[in-house]
Amino acid sequence: MWVSCRRSRQRIRGHWSRERRETAICSLALLFVCVLSACAFVLPAYLLLPLAGLNGLLVIHGLLRRGSIWGVLKLGLVQLSITLSLYLILYGAAHLAQGAIVVARIILATIPGWWLCITIPPERIGEVLSTFLPTKWAFVVAASLSLLPYMADEIREIYHIQCLRGARITPRALRNPRNWAELVYCVLFPVLIQLLKLSRQMAIAAQSRHFGLNQRPTHWHSPRDNND
Amino acid sequence: MTKKLPLSLQDSLFVGFCATLLVALTSMLRLKLGISGHSMFLMSFFYLICYGALGRFGSMTACGAIAGLVAMALGVGKGGPMILLKFVLPAIGMELIALLLPLSLALHWRCVILGIAGCIAWAGKVALTNILAGMELDVVLIQWGMSVLKGGFFATLGALLVPPVLTRLKAHDLLHRDKF
Amino acid sequence: MTLLELKGVSFNYGSQLPTVLQEVNLSIGSGQCHCVSGPTGSGKSSLLNLLAGVLNRPHEGEIWRNPKLVTGLVMQDPQIQLIRQTVGAEVAFALENLGIPAEQMLPKVQLALRRVGLYLRLDTPVNTLSLGQKYRLMIAAQLVCEPHLLLLDEPWAQLDDHGVSELLIVLRNLIQEGMALVLVEHNASAFSDIIQYYWQLETGKLSEGTYTVKDAPSDESPIWRSQFNHLGKVLVSAESFDFGFDGSSVLFACPQGFQLRAGEIVALVGDNGSGKTSLLKTIAGVLSLRQRLPLKVLGRRPKLGIYGAELGLLMQRPSRQLFETSVLAEMQFSLKRFELPKTRASQMLDELQLSDLAELSPHKLSYGQQHLIALASLACLCPKVLLLDDPLAGMDKDYHGKVWHLLQSLSSQGTAILLTSHRHIEHRAVSRQLSLRNGQLTEDPMEMEARYVG
Repeated sequence: MWVSCRRSRQRIRGHWSRERRETAICSLALLFVCVLSACAFVLPAYLLLPLAGLNGLLVIHGLLRRGSIWGVLKLGLVQLSITLSLYLILYGAAHLAQGAIVVARIILATIPGWWLCITIPPERIGEVLSTFLPTKWAFVVAASLSLLPYMADEIREIYHIQCLRGARITPRALRNPRNWAELVYCVLFPVLIQLLKLSRQMAIAAQSRHFGLNQRPTHWHSPRDNND
Repeated sequence: MTKKLPLSLQDSLFVGFCATLLVALTSMLRLKLGISGHSMFLMSFFYLICYGALGRFGSMTACGAIAGLVAMALGVGKGGPMILLKFVLPAIGMELIALLLPLSLALHWRCVILGIAGCIAWAGKVALTNILAGMELDVVLIQWGMSVLKGGFFATLGALLVPPVLTRLKAHDLLHRDKF
Repeated sequence: MTLLELKGVSFNYGSQLPTVLQEVNLSIGSGQCHCVSGPTGSGKSSLLNLLAGVLNRPHEGEIWRNPKLVTGLVMQDPQIQLIRQTVGAEVAFALENLGIPAEQMLPKVQLALRRVGLYLRLDTPVNTLSLGQKYRLMIAAQLVCEPHLLLLDEPWAQLDDHGVSELLIVLRNLIQEGMALVLVEHNASAFSDIIQYYWQLETGKLSEGTYTVKDAPSDESPIWRSQFNHLGKVLVSAESFDFGFDGSSVLFACPQGFQLRAGEIVALVGDNGSGKTSLLKTIAGVLSLRQRLPLKVLGRRPKLGIYGAELGLLMQRPSRQLFETSVLAEMQFSLKRFELPKTRASQMLDELQLSDLAELSPHKLSYGQQHLIALASLACLCPKVLLLDDPLAGMDKDYHGKVWHLLQSLSSQGTAILLTSHRHIEHRAVSRQLSLRNGQLTEDPMEMEARYVG
């Protein structure tokens, strides 16, 4: 009996440290990304090339993990065209290189964040950030995220119901901004009412499970054993 | 209307749900419509709803902060800590201006002013990024102006839709929070 | 041992709002099982919240609680109560809030799950559980704090018969262990095996007895006879098909297809999650699948919005769709959009004897009234096909009668009506019944034994 107790304690300790390890990796990655983004603004121009090389490695890693860089590229192209046009008009062709460097910095500041979202599962990021939040807000973020699929279904259903009732909120009708008011009154307004009800009921449900009693609640650690 | 009490759990959950809905709709609309600046429509709408429905100082900032965190957790947008600023800065701008506005001013005007304030703060975030990147001030100002015009139209539209919604909520006794 | 006593308790949500509870007297002791029945919206949930001590508003009268009393409250909607992703974390939430050290949580969580008969791995995702399992999980999440009194809010409405029988076993064991139970239920007969004390709550007053709802019509209501020669025309037809969501396995098969003819009222009965709602949505064109079904509605393949006023769909919880400032405006909304005469709205209200509600806000109506107004606003379009998803859920007896009156009047004008339920519907007006059982959609011969719909 003592052997099995010790073994199960070791197993539990092993599982705890795996979770802690993942959280530590996520926190380090967040820090790394913040530092790298800051470097993009702060480093002098001659150091941008090595930084670009480092970012290039991140891009390759991200692409290997099936991330799509299209969003960042689009941002870069749009920003490049607007900025270079303005530099051309205001300062002439001689300053185009300066404009290009500015846009390069902005892109180099964006790539680390893009990489972070591909490598670390979003729920982990949410968990790490929530550890800095007070208990009430951490609960609110967790509850909001877990209710998101339900909220999305509610909006979709209310939207369909109102479409069937003849509301002018089909995608074609919404091209006319005059119909946006209809969208607000017959979809967003009922959704807000549902949110008011949900928040009330969820607060009761949480309070009935003693939420808010303790300033420092403890945390459940999931053992990955079979329930006996 | 602005009271300096902490938000109750129920109010905090409402703020959180509004923030999550904001993020969800922003990413859905971005995929469907692809118009930039539309996010100001949704941000000004939801932040002002929190302001009007809860009437507590800090509700807009809380909404913005939760929206930023949720956006990060969901990987919305290009990712990274920038998205947090995108949601929080307009909210903070609106909160600060709300402190200065007299309550005697009509709700419509308050909403429009706050919507534009949020838009200026939102455009300001882009301007700040550009300044940090070393852009010339003239170019920064022009881009800032363009963002304000683009976003201002949508922000005002969103802001104008808030008073009728709030009036309906009050008329239907739905803001009597304990009823639910 | 007396756990809780209410003496002359009255309660409302605001001085301008109607009284929810009036002079309520109730005494609860350990090992007792009480059932409070009443129409939806009569204040049963508020009574439970009051017993659980989670209402923030003041009340009149006296509430005495045993100093050691711990209560557990299981609310209706699993969406509100289930907030963690895994079974273990969900049950442990209350322990986290009580500050119980992590090492001590595991045995308590395991015990709670055992007590409700859920033998699952602790990291089982919550969204893979059936509704009955979710309900028992919610009970386990309360049992982990070892309450003396367990409060259950309308369990029957969401569970199918299998779920109810599993729940009965659990509740019987809990009562034998000395726990007190208070059930609020629209349909008390489902739990008659364990209930010892029956109460009914009507217009805020609590009295002994049971509130029942009968759906068989009284003798005065006539059977509508069809008067139109287009009766019998097939409006919805489907050949044999397999129904499944994109990327998922087949949910159910319909080997013989089905038809809906003008003027008939057809009931579609099946368990929760069997696909009834999805089928209705497909017929209405709301749900479009990659694998198109061989389905024709009003002569065309279903697509959202193409039928205009000719097709009506009433989804569950129809009070969600109400947004106008008055009941009349709500009913005129669709009439305006489809360019039909607006006078139909006031005529409909007169017919249903609800004209005094015309200028009220739809959100100030009772649950049953809201439901009826949502249905009436569809009915005044005189659609050719009307699809109703569980229209009788939670209805009280007054509105039951009005709903059937409305449906019969529509079907006599040639509307084909398809309504779903997770229980058999016993009503003279229903001409046929389809059942979704064991993954098959087939037509049922009508059953003769009396079964009540709550």
